[in-house]
Amino acid sequence: MNRGYAAGASRASRSSRLPAHRGSSGWFGTIATVNSWLRIAGAAAALLAPTLPAPATGQESVRDRIASLEVPELRFTPVKPREETVRGVPVYYLPNHELPLVTFYAVFKGGVANLPRDYLAAASAMPNLLRGGGTASLPPDSVDVRIESLALAMSFGQGGGSASSWVNFLAEHLDEAVPLWAEMLRRPRFDSARVEVWRGTELERVRRRGDDPASLAYSRFNRIMYGDHPVGWELDASELEPGDVAEEKLRHVHEALFCPGNMVLGVAGDVAWDRAEALLEEALSGWAACSGNLQEYPVPDIRREPGVFVIHKPIEQSVVIAAHTSSVRQGDTPAYFASRIGNSILGASGLSSRLNTEVRTREGLAYGASSIWTTPRRSDGLVGAVTRTGARSTLAAARLLLEVLGSMRDAPPTAEEVSRVVDEAVNGFVFNFGTPLQVVARSMTYRTLDLPADWLERYLEGIRRVTPGGVHEVFRGELDPARMTILLVGDTTRFDGSPSELGTVTILEEEPPPPGSSPPRESPRSPG
Amino acid sequence: MKHFPTSLPWAIATTAAFALVSPPLTAQTPSPAPAPGEQLPVLRHVLDNGMTFLILPRRQAPTVSLVVHYPVGSVNEHLGNTGIAHVLEHMLFKGSREIGTTDPVLEAPLLAAADAAHDSLLTELARPHPDTTRARRLTDAVASFEDQAEVYAVPNEYDRILSAAGARGLNATTSLEATRYFVQLPANRLELWFALESDRMRNPVLRGFHTELDVVREERRLRLETSPGGIIQTALLATAFQVHPYGVPVIGHAADLEYMSRRQVAEYFRDYYGARNAVAAVVGDVDADQVVEWAEEYFGAVPEGRPAPPVLAREPEQAGERRITVEFDAEPRLMIAWRAVSGLHEDAPALQMLGSLLTAGRSTRLYRRLVAEDQSAIHVSAHLGPGFSHPGLFIVNAVPKAPHTTHELELSIYQELDDIRASAPEPDALDRIKNQIRAGEFRRLSSNLELGMQIAESEAVFGDWRETFRLSRRILEVTPEDVRRVAVKYLDVRNRTVATMVTKGGSQ
Repeated sequence: MNRGYAAGASRASRSSRLPAHRGSSGWFGTIATVNSWLRIAGAAAALLAPTLPAPATGQESVRDRIASLEVPELRFTPVKPREETVRGVPVYYLPNHELPLVTFYAVFKGGVANLPRDYLAAASAMPNLLRGGGTASLPPDSVDVRIESLALAMSFGQGGGSASSWVNFLAEHLDEAVPLWAEMLRRPRFDSARVEVWRGTELERVRRRGDDPASLAYSRFNRIMYGDHPVGWELDASELEPGDVAEEKLRHVHEALFCPGNMVLGVAGDVAWDRAEALLEEALSGWAACSGNLQEYPVPDIRREPGVFVIHKPIEQSVVIAAHTSSVRQGDTPAYFASRIGNSILGASGLSSRLNTEVRTREGLAYGASSIWTTPRRSDGLVGAVTRTGARSTLAAARLLLEVLGSMRDAPPTAEEVSRVVDEAVNGFVFNFGTPLQVVARSMTYRTLDLPADWLERYLEGIRRVTPGGVHEVFRGELDPARMTILLVGDTTRFDGSPSELGTVTILEEEPPPPGSSPPRESPRSPG
Repeated sequence: MKHFPTSLPWAIATTAAFALVSPPLTAQTPSPAPAPGEQLPVLRHVLDNGMTFLILPRRQAPTVSLVVHYPVGSVNEHLGNTGIAHVLEHMLFKGSREIGTTDPVLEAPLLAAADAAHDSLLTELARPHPDTTRARRLTDAVASFEDQAEVYAVPNEYDRILSAAGARGLNATTSLEATRYFVQLPANRLELWFALESDRMRNPVLRGFHTELDVVREERRLRLETSPGGIIQTALLATAFQVHPYGVPVIGHAADLEYMSRRQVAEYFRDYYGARNAVAAVVGDVDADQVVEWAEEYFGAVPEGRPAPPVLAREPEQAGERRITVEFDAEPRLMIAWRAVSGLHEDAPALQMLGSLLTAGRSTRLYRRLVAEDQSAIHVSAHLGPGFSHPGLFIVNAVPKAPHTTHELELSIYQELDDIRASAPEPDALDRIKNQIRAGEFRRLSSNLELGMQIAESEAVFGDWRETFRLSRRILEVTPEDVRRVAVKYLDVRNRTVATMVTKGGSQ
């Protein structure tokens, strides 16, 4: 094996996956040699020519060629957006006149996580109703027709801690597009018929939550780990009564979130600053101040006990998630940068990551495997791994995830692994400046998260200093496969073993328990 | 489908290679001027072996997007080798004679021995009464040789080299009608791509074959076997197409994947993935002359290969409505399809317009009726598919909202279509769609990678990279009466296939 690290578990027999071994088990142990086999195969070997690489007559070695390639220095000056202020709201502006397209972008600090659970439905409805619920001056149908007539591309979204919206349009529609977008954000109508459409659609989505096993698994895992915290909330049918999206609740959320004091703006594309500024002045003029109804992001009480949770679902492929808490916070610290490099080596760097190399490439157990390592700024996060595998390899995949996680704790990564992921970030630095909107959006994000404006440069400098020893240290301090909470979603009747091999098992129903209940209220049972 | 799960950075890019002016958004008087995309300064260079390079310098960020498009997809397959183009897509990431191995000399005979054992295994399994003991011994032999060969493997070395160079979005996709490989690199690493891509075109080694087949089987479970949308679409297409390969999923039949051999895949590559089928697009901060020089130097010796297997199958006329019901552990869904035309047919623009009028936006007919007014559905969409080059289907996809049933949805959809058949849609509704197409003519130029994909595909299908931009303009000429005419002509009950998903153990 060419593993550059110690991951010592024995590998599954590949023969069990070949046709003659379907439905059978065991390894027949006939270790053939090439010569003996080629004699046995006889004529069959003569057919092999197409599969063999032709002798590279006259071809230069590609390795030699790659080694000799010159890498010219990139002539590149990173662009920076102008930082302006309009009526107290920060605006990042970067023009580009190559295509007649313009994007206006708004990010609002605060989200579902800054409101009591009573407002979960109203807050969740907000993106949809800002887009589709009409404005003070226009009913929903008129807004829809206007958007399509002007060929506007629009987005309204919301995460736990922020909300955002953008509009992209042809430059000739500047004077119509921006006021319409601003009115949608600022003076929503919350048309009662559209509210009811949203409520009905959301009730149906709740009914269909189990249709996608991955969504089901992520949602339930968050609930297991975070309990009655915004990260763990799953919207329930009982929270989608008409009163949950009454206009007063919608207004309460809107006035708390979508207001100038929470806002960071961005403008990119084919527009001069004076025109953009005039439009923003008009949009912001008289916009009421924030109501102050946002609460502090609650500190989560994340589950710390190990355990195995199982949801039976009669499907062909299981979802496997394993994670526990991590104390690494986003910030300008060696541990943070080491965690980012370690996370890339573990499972965030595509095919070449350890998880993909082992779970996918070497064992063929999954189409993909990836790591989880969240690093919130002001609370603990999670570190772990996730994959999806056939029902009959569920336990094998879970064990392999734990083994690969353990390999990061047990020994430092190789220097090659560290340099590969650092090089990927450093050599690919130019991709951070692919478009003006990308540059503007990054500045807006840093501002929203209270990160320094030069965070990208600090980040690159920080990861350049990471050593294999530093990665090992952060994994030793943060990762322990024995502490993992594991969730398996799949057809338990076809699992390749008992989940109890992984720890103490709790069986969960596909239907979630009522809101507010925490995992310990769910009765432990044997997996049957 | 993607080779491995990453999200493409479809960034909205704008670059400095050209300055374009927006045409007026007046649908009634379509501009005779060329579409913005047609004016791009693309340099077309064809090598002696037939490989075509499309080079488009765009100098804003110092990056370059690279695409190699082969007009070979699952539609070119037949029973027995379904899924082979997709398997090959996976296998081309395994490296070459030198890349991906520590010792090609010791590795090659082990892979050859595994192939020989596998050939014998397939021969044994094809006998009327296979000798199970011999079959197991052969199976063990294949596994043993592959294990021995793996000692020399360097997993994912191709990916590692490009990643360390700063690559983004390294991936590939296989569709019904094409396979394409793509990556974005810092501009100063362009020659690395020439060296690696030409190497895998000349000397690929499909190592780790049976393990990768397991990966493909997992991908099949992911996309087709545990996805409600994948399951119902597979059922619909298999019912609507009983002869044409559009009825077979891109990823292939499970049985064909079970018995696919490395030799079979290697031969497929040798035959159809040669230079004459390859169109490369190089878009970004590049020197066109340098690209031509490297194209000649690196790709000039790639074998020509053969044209893709022709698709001669013609679906017989449908004699009446077909219905299929699939049970699954999910809530109900509905798909309705009518036999229609290829994307090249003169009626295709009107059918595409019909699809947009029905569902492309909140002001459209089916969205308003089903989602906003009746509240009987949470989703509805319509399009012409599933491919482009062969006669296809006009497909409506709908997801009901309880307690409404798929049956109710079906009736509502037919009522709306009857209305269009009875009277042409309002011109204003067409104008809104046309305005979106005109804006889209600029939006589609934003990303270098997406642009590279568009021009490479257009060149491969039409022999002209500009044609893709002209195609979308055809929709601008569609009239309300055209829409009514195609609705009458194609949306007939005798041409119809209906697929319904019902909840396993439930009622619908």
